[in-house]
Amino acid sequence: MAQRKRLSQHNNTQTSSQLKRRSSSSLTQDEDEEATFTQPSTSQVQRGLEKLSQAQVDQKTAEVVQYFLMKDQKKVPVRRAELVKYMVKDYRTIYPEIIKRAARTFEQVFGLKLVEIDPKQHMYILVNNLETPARAGPVECPTNPKTGLLFVVLSVIFMKGGIVKENLIWHTLKKLRVDPGQKHEEFGDVKKVVTDEFVRQKYLEYLRIPHTEPVEYEIRWGPRADLEVSKAKILEFIGQLHEQDPRSWTQQYREAHGTQTPGQASRSSSQR
Amino acid sequence: MRKSRSGGNEETPRQNGSSGRRRAEVDGEDADSSLAGLLDEDDENDQGLRREIRSKYRDLISSVQQNREDLLSPSNNKLTEVLEEANKLFKDVRQAREAALDAQLLVVATDLGKEKASQLFSDGNAFDPTAFAEHLLSFMGLNRLEDDRQNEATSDGYLPKDAWHRLAKSTECCFRTAPTFHYMMGSFHAEPPPPKQRVERQRRVPNKEAQRIMPTQLKKMEESHQEATEKEVERILGYLKSYHQDDPSTPISYYEFVVDPNSFSRTVENIFHFSFLIRDGLARMYLDDDKLPCIAPVEEGEVEPAGASTRKQCIISMSPKMWKEIVDNFEIKETMIPPPETQNE
Repeated sequence: MAQRKRLSQHNNTQTSSQLKRRSSSSLTQDEDEEATFTQPSTSQVQRGLEKLSQAQVDQKTAEVVQYFLMKDQKKVPVRRAELVKYMVKDYRTIYPEIIKRAARTFEQVFGLKLVEIDPKQHMYILVNNLETPARAGPVECPTNPKTGLLFVVLSVIFMKGGIVKENLIWHTLKKLRVDPGQKHEEFGDVKKVVTDEFVRQKYLEYLRIPHTEPVEYEIRWGPRADLEVSKAKILEFIGQLHEQDPRSWTQQYREAHGTQTPGQASRSSSQR
Repeated sequence: MRKSRSGGNEETPRQNGSSGRRRAEVDGEDADSSLAGLLDEDDENDQGLRREIRSKYRDLISSVQQNREDLLSPSNNKLTEVLEEANKLFKDVRQAREAALDAQLLVVATDLGKEKASQLFSDGNAFDPTAFAEHLLSFMGLNRLEDDRQNEATSDGYLPKDAWHRLAKSTECCFRTAPTFHYMMGSFHAEPPPPKQRVERQRRVPNKEAQRIMPTQLKKMEESHQEATEKEVERILGYLKSYHQDDPSTPISYYEFVVDPNSFSRTVENIFHFSFLIRDGLARMYLDDDKLPCIAPVEEGEVEPAGASTRKQCIISMSPKMWKEIVDNFEIKETMIPPPETQNE
């Protein structure tokens, strides 16, 4: 009886160590997938489509759509590598077609837009395609207080030219009773939320300033913020808050209303 | 930048000491050529002077790094003053080490210069984050305390709990976030796993409480559950040895040893505990002439580990009927192994 117990424990440790090895190498496997996955050509896609039935392709598209929706809960971007590895798998040859159909589904069914924010690393996010209504919608969604925090950070960065030192952000937040050194009752570890969570969600970029001793960092808008956040609306809100005309901040106003792609404008104006 | 000449007091770094080395005013553009032309042997070899210059550079660099905020303020020209100071120091630079320090100072200063220039971005109507924060606090519903001290740097007051929610709600319109996907009724879990966990937790909790409240009693409990078997086995071994010692020549009948005429369950327990002795090689069983099993303790030197060459296994089963028969046939009147004193539940 005791011998049998010993055997099973041994088996358990074996499998758990195997699992550990597998999980640590899964990241490199992801990268391998990325390296080996080349975007199939249109002719390859055509040939792939011929081999599969419509139902199969639709099914695969639906799975990809569901995967995106689940991943979007955390607002972390989805990599092409993980899509191919976990979802698309054998349907790799028709990957571009699947993405195209998924994007169409998002647009027509959900009113969302599938955007590739990083053409090199092939990362996708979901953005709302519809304009937020002026009045509150019929359904009361619980608000996430982190949105308020994010708003403060983004507005300070925008009003200060698109890129600020992290100290300015901490300084401003302290005035709002949010101290990165202390645990905040709503946000917890504020520093982590700003420099890690928001950065992973691609709302912010946290960059090291060269030649500083001790090391300092600066923060700027991330690619998701460029796509999701309206500078004009921020300026309008700030104007209301300060009881000033938004036009009084001429440079910010120009940036918010002048350019078609706000992302490019902010980058060029704050070029270092 | 090398051309700047301050209008104020021009202090040379050393006014005492070998004053003959005061260079003629050098034009900024020709700095390099003039340096090359005016090499002075004494100057080069004066270690003290070199150290002094290097130390001054280092002081300058550290003061720039530490007073960063001060230098950045648009209200003063301190950055320019730093550069002028550097200029003066540079006049006496002869060796590569000092020049490297000068270059380092330049890097730090230009970084600051770049930053100061970027401050010009906000023209006229500058955006003050502090004022912004103040307005936000009011918006979020800060209840300011009625205070005579109007000049407080920080506004005291009580920020309501839903302050950030209020802000998030109002600024939602600025974001075009995709609404997140959640199942309306929650996701479906297969039933079996959760109940298992619940049961385990329920069982654990009373134990913990018992531990906290009655530690002394718990010790006894532990002993009875975990070491009961071992203790029993040892006890039985003790009895076996003592019976054997009393009369080494007479073999002890196995059935007589284990059977308790008063309790069937005790009999089974005795069989169970005795099997450990056999397994560990502390007792041995053999068949006597009548083919009845007899037992004897193994002598000290003869103890073999469980995995010895001769491995015989047998299964003993007993039913209450059989037990009764044995009690009658062997005429067992009383048990050879008395039950333990403390009754375990």
